[in-house]
Formats: sequence, structure tokens, C-alpha cells
Amino acid sequence: MKSNSFKSFARKNIVVIFLVILCLGFGIGTSDVFSTGNIGGIVKTSSFLSASNIVNLTTQMAINAMLSAGLTYVIILGGIDISVGSVAALAGIVSMLVAQKLPNVSVFGAILVLVLSAVVVGGICGTFNGIMITKFKVVPMITTLAMLNMARGLCFVLSGGTAVFGVANNYSWLGGSRFLQTPDKPTGWIPVITLFVILCVFIMHTLLSKTVFGRHVYATGSNIKVAHLSGINTDKVTLICHILCAVMAALGGVLNASKLQNGQPAACDGYEMYAIAATVLGGTSLSGGRGSVGRAMFGVAIIAVINNGMNLMHINSYWQKVVIGLIILLAVILDMAQFKKEE
Amino acid sequence: MEPCIQAVHITKKFPGVLALNDISIDFYPGEVHALLGENGAGKSTLIKILSGVYTATEGKVILNGREMHFQNPRQALDAGISVIHQELSIANDLTVAENIYLGAEPKQKNGLFVDKKKMIADAQAVLDFMKVNIKATDLARDLTAAQQQMAEIAKIIVKNSKVVIMDEPTSSLSEHEIAALFEQIRMLKEKNVAVIYISHRMKEIFEMCDRATVLRDGCFVSTCMIKDVTENQIVASMVGREMKDYYNRKPHTRGKETLRVENLSCGRHYQDISFSAYQGEILGISGLIGAGRTEVMETIFGERRADSGKIFVNGREVKFKSPKDAIAARIGMVTEDRRRTGLMLSAMVRHNVVLPSLTEHHKPMNFLDFQWEENVSREYVKKLEVKTPGIETEISHLSGGNQQKIILAKWLIANSDILILDEPTRGIDVNAKSEFYKLMNEFVARGGTIIMVSSELPEIIGISDRIIVMREGKLMGELDYRDATEENIISLASVRSDS
Repeated sequence: MKSNSFKSFARKNIVVIFLVILCLGFGIGTSDVFSTGNIGGIVKTSSFLSASNIVNLTTQMAINAMLSAGLTYVIILGGIDISVGSVAALAGIVSMLVAQKLPNVSVFGAILVLVLSAVVVGGICGTFNGIMITKFKVVPMITTLAMLNMARGLCFVLSGGTAVFGVANNYSWLGGSRFLQTPDKPTGWIPVITLFVILCVFIMHTLLSKTVFGRHVYATGSNIKVAHLSGINTDKVTLICHILCAVMAALGGVLNASKLQNGQPAACDGYEMYAIAATVLGGTSLSGGRGSVGRAMFGVAIIAVINNGMNLMHINSYWQKVVIGLIILLAVILDMAQFKKEE
Repeated sequence: MEPCIQAVHITKKFPGVLALNDISIDFYPGEVHALLGENGAGKSTLIKILSGVYTATEGKVILNGREMHFQNPRQALDAGISVIHQELSIANDLTVAENIYLGAEPKQKNGLFVDKKKMIADAQAVLDFMKVNIKATDLARDLTAAQQQMAEIAKIIVKNSKVVIMDEPTSSLSEHEIAALFEQIRMLKEKNVAVIYISHRMKEIFEMCDRATVLRDGCFVSTCMIKDVTENQIVASMVGREMKDYYNRKPHTRGKETLRVENLSCGRHYQDISFSAYQGEILGISGLIGAGRTEVMETIFGERRADSGKIFVNGREVKFKSPKDAIAARIGMVTEDRRRTGLMLSAMVRHNVVLPSLTEHHKPMNFLDFQWEENVSREYVKKLEVKTPGIETEISHLSGGNQQKIILAKWLIANSDILILDEPTRGIDVNAKSEFYKLMNEFVARGGTIIMVSSELPEIIGISDRIIVMREGKLMGELDYRDATEENIISLASVRSDS
């Protein structure tokens, strides 16, 4: 019985266990234990486990965390949104274009510009996706494939094909600055972007797991017919999920632009794949009805840790993609094995 | 006579469960052998072993004197054992001929391409031999459920199977179509095929079967000649006790009118339907499948729009745009296909039962009230005597009867005053049916209104206070339960050739 409960614990938390193992692995791999043989010094010498690297990690996770949190909603519905990367880039471009027009704003004004640009761009793109899917019955994959191309095209149209730069410094506060300056770290310890992302993810997680709307999302994803016959306006639920997903992506995009203090038309290229990977790693079922924003964050962390750890170990970055591809497959196989066992 | 297929001392263990315990049955060629038992008695496990889906833990399967070791269903099929499942395995986008010859297509001389001409001609010959009105070139999706079943039987004839297992073949057929199916079973009998027949409908067993074997909780109870036993004896051996007053009929007191439908029409589905339903009564709606009964119910529930006509709830005219409006007016609907339209199968019991009530029952700012959800789920699981390990159990693990109780609980929790039940006892066992009728009676006794669509005549006569009969989209008549007999319902419901 004891070993059984351990097994089921391990099966349910496989992603967490995997993340811990990865961290330990990179912790040892980036320390000087191999050259000095000093096991006690692993934590001290490991460049992966250093405090500043872990803080860095949270900023590297930030954009993908935003994209994955929104995408989780759409995937739980049984749909998909592959336009998140392009929508993020478009929001980044639009926010920087607005920022160019408004150079003399306070930090608060800059945040307002960034967030409003994201809400408008995400709102429009998400509404478009949602209406195509609910009213015109275009399958989500095709709708968002079209959006992927349209949004990316608009990025180049609006920017003229080059980066949008030269915005005031206040615009980089949200994405680039840090709180808690100390003498040995004059730039500060706690990144604003991390706090902002934690707040957004917390709201998205609570909305999904603790509210009636969240329950309606799960119901629509498990069986849309049953949901409809139980009095749920499934079209409305679908529309809202697509808007949430696109707005989160757009917020991710403006964070990225703010961090870089410019808007790149080719930004966030391929990020949709990282977001899908993170969501699936977090146990969200592509057939709908199951998943959680919180668990998707473990998927986000795994991908960030792999990229970061391999960088620190000076492994060719092209290999990172290969490794992430393999890990996605592994996660899905484990996930399916879990449900098979339950039956 | 030698038995055609034998199950010899078969035991099947699943982790933690003894599904079959030392079962031995002989099936003879040319006999229709009923396999009876409540859900969970082991019928499905046994037929899965006979047809190669599972292998037995102990014991053997003997076909025509030879011990068989099936590794997969394909081998069993090749050895001459066919199964017609409750859910038909027909490829919708292929033609009837292609379905019949699926996996065994006749080849042209070069051995590469399918000989379509020969395939169509042969398939048509079989269909004509069966005297069914189906064209070999029809697409399977254009066939009715009954016709698809005929195509499955044609497949069996083509394969020349020696053993045919039928798992609830009549569950989606009307009386008229059942008669046609029985014709075909008699034809199979004449061809010396052994038919293993699974059904919950006693009437069919007595009409069609020669012998019956009863299983209970994975154990063998008895095998008997049908002509030597009574229905009550069989039911008693299935449930392990005497069933008294199966329908639990109670005198109901009819109250005020709660639902009135006036001159409702919807295209070709139904025309000019008018009726009323009252507090404290069960209104039965009988008719053949395709008579438009479900469509009328869907319209009342806001799931389908009528072209014309009016619906009144408690005397006030309503115009429901979607089920949401109907639920707000305290109407609940138990649909005919609980797996597809009744339940979120992969979700927990507690998430299923509260689903329609969430918009009314929540904390401020639309936060879920988890405590209420837990309490109300426990309360109704207890009240309705749902057999489940707990309220966190995934609903797909429950038996059909218990799933149906959960759907009923859904609408009780949502405070429905009017319940529409569409074939509520389809595919659930005798005991569960009887419990379900009890719950229906309790609901009505508390002042609720029930409108029940059912194709089972004994059921509709046994439980309804009033019965209305539909035929081809039209309302044919209304009967009091005291006047209703199977004969006069059938004569109202069936399509006569001269009409």
C-alpha cells in the first residue's frame, strides 16, 4: 500500500520530480566538482545554482509563462492557438510605436501604455479568433494559423521591416528594472517583470480553478454538448478563452519589447511551440477537459532550465531544440501512460 | 449434437477483481442462447474472452472440439466468431458493400486492385437474400441504425461465421425494426449458427431465445430452457431475490398544469403537436424511433427551434433561446445518450452533479462554493443510493445505472420542477431500473412533473399515468394507463401500409 501510494504520488508529480532532477543535474554539471572533487562545494561553485542565475531564470521564463498561462485555457477547451508568438510580436511593435509618439511619460504612464496596447491588440486578435471558431465554425488550428500569418505580416507592415526603437527609458522599467538594490548588486535583485508575471499567472490560475467561469471552461472542454445542455453558453466561454489567451500573449509581447526597449518585427518567432510544449509538459490534455495553469508553470520552468543549464554548460544552442523536442515526447508518453493505468 | 463453442471452467482476474469465477457454458449450433445478468455480472467479460479481446486467466475456449488460443479479435473472427456490438462498428463514409467486405475485399485478377463490380454485386446478393431494402452502393451514414445493423448481419453471412454474439442489439431499435431483426436471427438459426444474445429486455428473451444462462457477480447461476421458466424466475435469479412490484406504481395526485404545448411544428420532424403535462404525474410519450419524440422534447428544452406553435410553462408563454433559458425556468432534461450528451465522462462525480447549478449557487464574484458542492454531492449520492467509491471518483468508472442516477441528481440539485426523460433506462439492468422508477415516483410525489419518452412498451405502460403516442411527427392519440395495452399503443404507433 505504501509503495503504491508512493507510485501514484510519483506519477502525479512526475513533472515536479523531473524538474528537481534537472536542477540537481545542472547544479552538479556547472560546479567545479569534477575538477576539484570537492562535493561540499557544489552549491557554492555551481554557476547554475547561484542566486543571481536563479533570478535570471525567472526573467527568462517570464514571456513563456505569460503565453502558456493563456494557452492553457484554449487547450483545456480542446482547441489550440498557434498564433500566440505572432500576436506577442504585434503587441510589442504596436506598444513601441505608441511609445515613440509619447516620449514624455512617467513610469506609471509607460506601464499604462504598454498594458493598454497589449489589451487592445490581444483583444482584437482574440475576438477575431473566437468569432471565427464559434460563429464560422473554422477549426482552431486553421483560424489561428491564419492569425499567425496575419499578425506577423502586420508586424512587418507597421514597422516597415525594421526594429522600432528610440523610446523613452521609462518604457523599459516594466520589463527591465529590478527592486532591492544592494552594494554587491547595484542593479537590484528582484526583477519587476517577475513580479508582474507572477501576478498575471496567479490571476489566471485563480480564475480557472476557483470560479464558476473556470468550471465552465473545463465543462466545455470535456464535453461541449453536455455543457450546452447544462445551460452553459459554450460560444461565450470559447470566445472569452481565446481573448484571454491572446491578451496574455500580447502582454508577454509588450514585456519582451519593454525588456529590449524596442520592437522587433521578428520577435517571439516560434514561441508558440515553446508555449504548447510547456502546457503539455504541465499535464494539460490536448484532447481537452484537463489541465491547470499552475502545473503549466512547471513545464515553463523545465524548458527554461534546459535552455539556461545547457547555455551554462556551453552546449551548442542548436542541440537545445533537439533536447526539448525529445522531452515533449517523453512528457506526452508519460501522461498517456498515467491515464491508461487509471482505466 | 455436439456443442459448437464451449467455455470451459473460465476464470478471469483483473487487478483486485474476480470478474469471472469458473464459468462453463456450452453453446449449440442453431440455438439462440441468452446470456443474462445485471451490469457487472460478467457478461461482457465472458464475450470478450470468447471473441479474443481478453485471454482467460484460467480455463479454455473450445470451438468445434478444438481448443482455441486467441491472441486478438482478428483471430477469433477468422475462426468464425463474430460480434455485433451495442455501438455499431460501421465506417460511416464507406458504402454498404465496402463495409460488408471490409478487410476481405475481393481482388481483381492482378491481385492488386479491389474488384468493385464483384464486391457490389455480391453484397447486393446477400442483402437481397436477407430481403432487406438496402442498396449495396448506399453510404453507411445514410442508413438508419436498424439498417446499419442489417449491414452488420450481412457481414456475418459473408464471413460465414459459426458463432454470432449480439450485445444488446435492439437497444436503439423500434418495435417494428426489432421484428425485422428477429427475422434475420431466425435465418441465422436455420443456417445452424450459434447465436449468443445479450439483452436486458425480458420480452425479447422469451420471444427469441431457446436457452438462457444467468450470471451473477461473475459466477454461474443456472442454465435453463426458456420454455420451462417464467420471467419472474429469471429476474429473481439475476438479482438474487424476488422482485416485487417492479415499477413501484403509486397513486399520483394530479395537480395544476405545468407545461402546455400548442400546435408546435418543426419542419419535417413533427407537425401540430399539442399536449399538456401536470404536476404530480408521469406523462409517457410512446412511438417508434424517428416519430419525432426526441425532437419535440429538444424544442421544449430550448435546444431546437420550432417553426410555429407556442409553449407555456406554468401558464406563461415562454420562448427559450437555449437550454440555459429552460433551466432557468426549472426544466431539466435527461438525454437519451448519457455517454455522449449526459455526462462529462472524464470528470469527477461532484463536478458532474453540480454543473447546471453553478450559475445560481456561488460565492460573491462568481467564486466556486466548494463546501456547498461537496455537501450537496454527498447528500444526493446518499439520497439516490448511488454506488460509487466517493464523490471524487471519475464518472466513467460507475455502472450505467449509477451514471443515470447522477444525471438525475444533476437536475434535482438544479431544483427542476419539470423533468424530461428521454429513454432513461436504456442499457441499465433490472435492479437499477426498478430503483430509477422509485426515484421517478418520489419526484412526482413531491409535486414534480415528468415527461418520459420510452420505446419500451412494458415500461411506459408500467410507470406512466397518461400516455401519448406519436407517429411520423404527428400526435396520434392519448391513453390513460388503465386503458393502455401493448396492442393499442402499437396500433397507434405503427405505420400502416394503407395509410
